[in-house]
Amino acid sequence: MNSLLTSEHRMIFAGIADFLIPNTEGMPSASEVGVQGPILDRVLSLRPDLSEAFFRGLAKSIGHSAADATNALNSGDHEAFGAISLVASAAYYMVPRVRELIGYPGQENRPDPDPDATPPYVANGMLQHVIDRGPIYKPTPK
Amino acid sequence: MSDTISNTPRFKRGEIVDVLIIGAGPSGSVAAKHLAQSGFSVVALEQGHFPDRSKYPGRNPEWELVTQKQWHPNPNYRDLPRDYPINTSESDVNPLMFSGVGGSATLYAAHWTPFLPSDFRVRTLDGVADDWPFTYEDLLPHLEAVEHEVGVSGLAGDPTYPLRSPPPTPALPIGKVGAKAAECLDKMGWHWWPGTNAIPSVAYNGLNACVRRGTCMSGCPEGAKSTTDITYWPHAIKAGARLVTGARVREITVNDSGLATGATYVDENGRERHQRAHSVIVCANGIGTPRLLLLSTSNRFPNGLANTSGMVGKRLMMHPFSAIMAVFEEDLESWRGPYGHNVESFQFYETDKSRGFVRGAKWGVMPSGGLLGATSFVGSKVFTSEKPSAGDMWGKNLHEMVERRFGHTMVWGIIGEDLPEESNRVLLDDTLVDSDGIPAPKLIYKVSENSERMLKFHEERVLEACKAGGAIETAIVHQMRDTGWHLLGTCRMGTDPGNSVLNEWGQAHDVPNLYVFDGSSFPTSGGVNPTATIMSVAMRQTQRMISERRNLKVA
Repeated sequence: MNSLLTSEHRMIFAGIADFLIPNTEGMPSASEVGVQGPILDRVLSLRPDLSEAFFRGLAKSIGHSAADATNALNSGDHEAFGAISLVASAAYYMVPRVRELIGYPGQENRPDPDPDATPPYVANGMLQHVIDRGPIYKPTPK
Repeated sequence: MSDTISNTPRFKRGEIVDVLIIGAGPSGSVAAKHLAQSGFSVVALEQGHFPDRSKYPGRNPEWELVTQKQWHPNPNYRDLPRDYPINTSESDVNPLMFSGVGGSATLYAAHWTPFLPSDFRVRTLDGVADDWPFTYEDLLPHLEAVEHEVGVSGLAGDPTYPLRSPPPTPALPIGKVGAKAAECLDKMGWHWWPGTNAIPSVAYNGLNACVRRGTCMSGCPEGAKSTTDITYWPHAIKAGARLVTGARVREITVNDSGLATGATYVDENGRERHQRAHSVIVCANGIGTPRLLLLSTSNRFPNGLANTSGMVGKRLMMHPFSAIMAVFEEDLESWRGPYGHNVESFQFYETDKSRGFVRGAKWGVMPSGGLLGATSFVGSKVFTSEKPSAGDMWGKNLHEMVERRFGHTMVWGIIGEDLPEESNRVLLDDTLVDSDGIPAPKLIYKVSENSERMLKFHEERVLEACKAGGAIETAIVHQMRDTGWHLLGTCRMGTDPGNSVLNEWGQAHDVPNLYVFDGSSFPTSGGVNPTATIMSVAMRQTQRMISERRNLKVA
């Protein structure tokens, strides 16, 4: 757990994250998948370089609505906006349920079965058109 | 800590060896392996370490997040202990590199694109720049030999090149991204070919077969992407080469006769040591090599070692680069690898002066990464834009954008040839130093008018092809700062010692037992990824050294 994160931080972050990533278009909101929970600690531990701007942005947001806070950061503190939005989106898109809804299995080990098989672009004649146009290089001058 | 990796039972630190190699990247690895196998005693000094494949982040859900920082290709941004800082305040482009055994290839995309015949004859054909002191045909046997060591995958018969022997492993699948790109190019009647990559499709020389994970540019967790820590160093060490890691060279030393005698280096404990050698080969990349020569001053070489011509550090070439994102209705599974190029096109590579510029560019079509978009590819938020309201790119629009783009996007990388200009150069910074107190390099570099015109032309052509193939959205990323992957030309080969640093064998005109085998030696840059040519040149120069061993001038 990140010792700097208070419950207030998590609440403010959840509000901004929900403004950035709402429940709409069939997708859950950021807080519905728990971006303000342990995954937030994980993201900040992976990217400590974002911490200063992240916490500065949250501090500036105290007492403001999520919409007002987010727009104020977007126009007045790009670094803080960038840090919070990156943390929110990175956390959100690391959640298995979100990936499943989008249809993203992650970067998988899934090779094509037979490297020696004739590629489709050869079998269907597509590459032959390129070959038939002939060489396209300038040869070494004599 | 500094490690000495050696197969010989009693290594006496500092004993004189036949050859000292500085840098264990692609060119240094080729030299080490073949020299050791030919009976030379070899020590290589590398400031980084052996990469730890278990630490590559590609298998983890946080892959994209850490690729933006800890695995970023810009050493100034990555800022790891073995990185050295570079002053880029007067450079339009940030240089990208990685220190370690295998060099910057640890993070490369493994596009394997040898120079074309015209790349060696730019002066003769186009009236600009220079000719190389050898031809495509001279280099070809060395290229083919290297390809069999590297484990290149590809398909023979590409009309981009004269007829030549095939790569040793079959081409990787072009995937749905490649098939769609090929369709786009077909509609225009333009050249395309399945990508040739330094990523084998079957197990080869210690490499595993590619599994299409697509996290190539943050290190291959499968050990499939070809890097020399896997393909060369085990052989070199078995043949008796000694590799000292964590060893940061600060100076190449010379004797009163002006011959190189070895190098002084700082180990990771901060202790200064000296390695003696009869010959020295520098392979520290297009910035590290001139930096080291400029650091190595003496009474005989007050302006830097081997720098009587004044050319050390000058003619820095970094390929102009633009990327185009193209989104299609079809599901392209565009997170799947490899992040080599799936399809390549050389349609507009050769010069046509009617276009308003000279030389040309190669196109490589690649997938587009994970859900955070292509940010991990070019190192910044590429496909967002400056919008007045956060809601424009976020909220409902975020979900719509992800649904429209994710899995449906390909990235076209345009790599253009950079022409050499003496004003583009590497020098020593006045105040910036690395963690060992060694003066850091400074770059002075401007993107030229020729490059700007070339990129605009190529961007327009790529857009035409994408639209012909039915793209529903396109975006251009024009010449960003973080595109300096290819660092070339700063210790060029030439026949005239008055305006070059090296002869055609990579031997310094001024210092007959000093050699440079890396991309610094290039007279021109080509418009292609240079690793194939860097390694081929290193092979050629190494074979020459071996065949001339009785005639070598040594300290």
